[in-house]
Amino acid sequence: MTKRELITPAATKDLYLPVMAEITDVRQMTPLEKLFEIRLPGGADLGHRPGQFVEVSLFGVGEAPISISSSPTKKGAFDLGIRKVGMLTEMIHRMQPGERVGIRGPFGSGFDMAKFKGKDVLVVAGGIGLVPLRSLINYVLDNRADFGRLVICYGSKSDTELLFEDERRLWERDPRVEFHLTVDHGSPAWQGRTGVITTLIPGLDLDLPNTVACVCGPPIMYRFVLLALKSKRLPEENIYMSLERRMKCGVGKCGHCQINGSYVCQDGPVYHYPDIKALREAL
Amino acid sequence: MARFYLEKGKVAAFIAHLQSQKTVYAPHRKGRNAFAFAPVERPEDVVLDYPRTVSSIKKYFLPAREELLSFNLVENTCAQPAVAPLDAVFLGVHSYDVHAVLKLDHNFVAGNPERNYLTRRQGALIVGVGFTPDRFHFSGSVGIPAGDTTGCDLFLHPCEGGYALEALTPGGEGLLAGFPLPAHAAGLPAAAPFHQHIYVPQAKLKDVLAHGYDSEVWEEEAEKCTSCGTCNLVCPTCYCFDVEDAVDITVTRGSRERHWDGCLLRSFTEVAGGEVFREEPADRQRHRVFRKFKYISDETGEPWCVGCGRCTASCTAGISIVSIVNRLVNDYDAVKA
Ligand code: SF4
Ligand code: SF4
Repeated sequence: MTKRELITPAATKDLYLPVMAEITDVRQMTPLEKLFEIRLPGGADLGHRPGQFVEVSLFGVGEAPISISSSPTKKGAFDLGIRKVGMLTEMIHRMQPGERVGIRGPFGSGFDMAKFKGKDVLVVAGGIGLVPLRSLINYVLDNRADFGRLVICYGSKSDTELLFEDERRLWERDPRVEFHLTVDHGSPAWQGRTGVITTLIPGLDLDLPNTVACVCGPPIMYRFVLLALKSKRLPEENIYMSLERRMKCGVGKCGHCQINGSYVCQDGPVYHYPDIKALREAL
Repeated sequence: MARFYLEKGKVAAFIAHLQSQKTVYAPHRKGRNAFAFAPVERPEDVVLDYPRTVSSIKKYFLPAREELLSFNLVENTCAQPAVAPLDAVFLGVHSYDVHAVLKLDHNFVAGNPERNYLTRRQGALIVGVGFTPDRFHFSGSVGIPAGDTTGCDLFLHPCEGGYALEALTPGGEGLLAGFPLPAHAAGLPAAAPFHQHIYVPQAKLKDVLAHGYDSEVWEEEAEKCTSCGTCNLVCPTCYCFDVEDAVDITVTRGSRERHWDGCLLRSFTEVAGGEVFREEPADRQRHRVFRKFKYISDETGEPWCVGCGRCTASCTAGISIVSIVNRLVNDYDAVKA
């Protein structure tokens, strides 16, 4: 090991210091999920890409990685879709507009939207996978002329867990969006399609070489969606996926989010499929 | 640079001379057979001939527990506690532990440089010392001979009647000012041999590890492993941490603390909702060994294990990283032969 030059401490950034941001709106989406609108001091731009995340903290409770749910085209504030799964998120769910949370980030790779210019975009969202992908969907809609078709496949466990009700209705009606929805198990009132998300894929009519697929969902979903996309003959290099791991520090130090040798908080959570297909722990 | 002769009888005076300039940390006996780095109070308590310390000097740059933020819960504000630079000399450090610090330097500078670590690290001077390898050391197999002086400011080579004291940097020379010593003209005695070896040239390790991903060794070793995480805690190149908030009893103040964590613990990859991404002990054992010999090594071209032998010496299940790697080497050779 050769000795390396140490950087002077003065040249380092405040890696662990959150910025205090105000909750400006709270919307209940499902019994478990709420959508929070957050405003940084002075309405400063978060400066994120679709697919990135922030670390949200409540002092004395903890910090957790949360995907950013709004498009960078939304100015003055950003959205976080938060599922109640533990102590921290439960406390956040009790918060009201006007209260403040700590924010660090944005972190991670995100989707490189410039690369998708002129392409058809296929969104495959399972469950809360729609939360980060909503950022990408709205980005495409706000820059509609830059992209080809926008095809959304959204699958949910049941119709009672469907997210973003208002926007979903808009997408359903919007002629610029091809929206497909299915639920694993519908309630008696459910009139739509039932079946797992992969059943939506075979019927799609895609311009394969010109389509990029952006996939996000629960861990078990990826393998099956990949199989479906591959049997459709979508080229591997057209597939991008956002993976969940335990991200703690967000700055590539704490080690928790590693998939084999890759730090998800740095190289991911959005990965180009050819880059991770050899990583055995990825999918 | 110059080499001096420090006879045994003058060692205590030499330590006192260092103490007159900086805080000195050195190995001390703890209990019957354990050694630990501690601030020196009395020079005669320092033990320079020791097999290994329980923890390396990593604990001074990356403390086992440290406050990252302090909170005022009434005002809902937070602040970063000031980190005090270490104006210190680390005396009697074995070569492998110096290399471990250089590796940590890499981890804490690369990507996002971390202020807390660098603040503590920047003022530290290191006085290395040679050692006699015991049945656990294998640093020679990972490119670190027992007398290797890389990263040291001064080095004490054990020799007849005392030490050949080698000055390696201006900082090291500065420590010697005002402490006249005779020159050491004789050659250095050959470093003592190792009794543990990884039987593979470093260049081949990359292929060996890649080939070993599906080896049966992971299952076999994992069967014995209790996932206690000790191997992580004692390792001088492990730097993973967890972060937790604590609230004081008045509920008006609190802090965000980080503490060492270990990839052998099942909770290490657990996300909210309960999913664990390396569920099996075998997956976690592989991750540890790959962290030491593959992932960072593929980028930097060198092992991230320094061969201190601590993990093997302290594993209650008797799991040996040398046996694991040698098993992978054998499997590889058997297939490629
Ligand atoms: S010290 Fe041994 S038993 Fe404990 S986690 Fe490490 S390998 Fe397993
Ligand atoms: S892996 Fe074991 S032998 Fe290697 S540096 Fe860590 S504790 Fe020492």
